[in-house]
Amino acid sequence: MGIWALPSEVDAVLRQFRTCELTTLSKSGTPTTWPASARYLPEQGRFLLTTSIGFAQKAFNIRRNPKVSMLYSDPTGSGLHSPPAVLVQGEGVVSDQFVTAVEGLEDYWRETIFGRQPTTGFFSSNFISRWLMDWNFMRLIIQITPRSILWWPGGNFTQPAQQIQVSHVEAAY
Amino acid sequence: MWKQLTKHLQTFSSAVISAVDAQGFPFSARCVPRVDQPRRALWVDLPPGAPVKPGPAGLLCHSHDEKLWNLRSFLVQGRLERNEHGWLFFPLRFIPGEGLYGRLSLLVTLFHARRNTRRYLTVRGLPRPKIPWKDINRLRAEAYKISTGIQAVKTDKVNDYVERNEAAR
Repeated sequence: MGIWALPSEVDAVLRQFRTCELTTLSKSGTPTTWPASARYLPEQGRFLLTTSIGFAQKAFNIRRNPKVSMLYSDPTGSGLHSPPAVLVQGEGVVSDQFVTAVEGLEDYWRETIFGRQPTTGFFSSNFISRWLMDWNFMRLIIQITPRSILWWPGGNFTQPAQQIQVSHVEAAY
Repeated sequence: MWKQLTKHLQTFSSAVISAVDAQGFPFSARCVPRVDQPRRALWVDLPPGAPVKPGPAGLLCHSHDEKLWNLRSFLVQGRLERNEHGWLFFPLRFIPGEGLYGRLSLLVTLFHARRNTRRYLTVRGLPRPKIPWKDINRLRAEAYKISTGIQAVKTDKVNDYVERNEAAR
């Protein structure tokens, strides 16, 4: 369970969901939301994401304004039945340089990318796809530290959110 | 833009509405938008007690299959306003994501990604880096091994497997 005392059903969502909806704030302050694959690292108290320099806008947004949220609301592929929806609000940090090396990111590539999305294996499978897709392997690293975690049992948004009791997390409401 | 939005919106069962809360953090919730044709706006329901401020907002629709493929998405940026009947989202900008236009989407994604990457490297005066394909394919093979329980898998067999699955779709 790590340093967060999360209810088991919330913990399962953060481990099992294939995507979350990551929201960053644009220069104008407009929320910009796209699906993302986040790796849940409870023992380190953070989440790990990466983004290709070919689609780096979310990283630029986080550098300008670190406030982000991740909503886990689509259980497709998770194997979970009627899971809660979970909203993580936190602050992100982006690496200065992009990386191509896999050192330190082995679990991320193996489990979060290739394990969850096996078709992406095609990107590195032959000369042509490697030439076309090399940008996918130039990655900026994004680390998100939660400030509040909210959840809705059964993914039912018509009821008020329940708040996860996390020692170092301040309540949003 | 409105026509494009309403056309694609009906192909999704729900959407994610995102706005900003009182502390300046993004706040998102899943909803089922209802089209208000005369106002050219969408009614959205937010959870009770959601600390959202009227103002800039975004609406995302996305879907994927069990293997995180067949991706489809679009994002709409706009403004969220509140009246006595509830929350109204006024769209301002439609941004296609993946898969909305079939195979053309893949080509557009490739074009944008390669163009953006070239710009990123050029602006910073960086050479195009070499990718450690051997390491990446090792991890890909390990992922395959974990998911199938097969002990010894050669990379080319993984490639064959992926390509066969692609062909079978």
